Amino acid sequence: MKVLALIYGDESAWESLSDEDRQGVYARYRAFGEQADGKVANGAEIAPTSAATTVRVRDGETQVTDGPAVELDEPLGGFYLLEVGSLDEAAEVAAHIPGAASGAVELRAASEEEAP
Amino acid sequence: MKYLLLLNNDRRAVDSWRDLSPDEAAALRAEEMPRWNTLFGWIGEQGIEVDGLELEEPNKARVVRVRDGETLVSDGPFAETKEQLGGYFLADCKDLDQAIELAQRVPLVGTGSVEIRPLVE
Repeated sequence: MKVLALIYGDESAWESLSDEDRQGVYARYRAFGEQADGKVANGAEIAPTSAATTVRVRDGETQVTDGPAVELDEPLGGFYLLEVGSLDEAAEVAAHIPGAASGAVELRAASEEEAP
Repeated sequence: MKYLLLLNNDRRAVDSWRDLSPDEAAALRAEEMPRWNTLFGWIGEQGIEVDGLELEEPNKARVVRVRDGETLVSDGPFAETKEQLGGYFLADCKDLDQAIELAQRVPLVGTGSVEIRPLVE
């Protein structure tokens, strides 16, 4: 089954890291990717919420606003698409994502319905 | 440029789906399908590469945290919000304007929202 792992964390903490510290975090993510080999189908770092745009349509009118749909203390900063046997296995894999130790990882299984 | 489009449903809509019988849910899905097909037709015409998934409802989510070496797993979504993630598109768009064009054609944008997040490449 496919499980989307959404990585939430404190953006300002990330932005205040030195280049060296960031390289350290990237190295831990690379190590996770190698360790989880075969269970990670996709994944990416997401640009900060300052680069987010939210679109709504109300009464036929398109509203485009800067920023995320919902302001969170720990916004979404990255994701992995996991290919695993169960949600329990996804949780085991997710515990090794570096972001789980500083923020949180939300696991959302793909719907069994055919994607729209 | 790659963008993650987070497709958010209005929470009231998600709650109301929970009360539907399987037949009612199938009927609602069938009713919405043409609008999604129109979107996919447009995506094809534009030549935008899109990948995506519909997700199980937020109540079935789990949240994993590791603190002091211990793994803590809780049930439910990370945040209880007015709008709830129901699926996503990963789209390779020309620019943000094209991503906005795509977003405003997503059927649920009339009641929920589409959050566009550029990826770090």
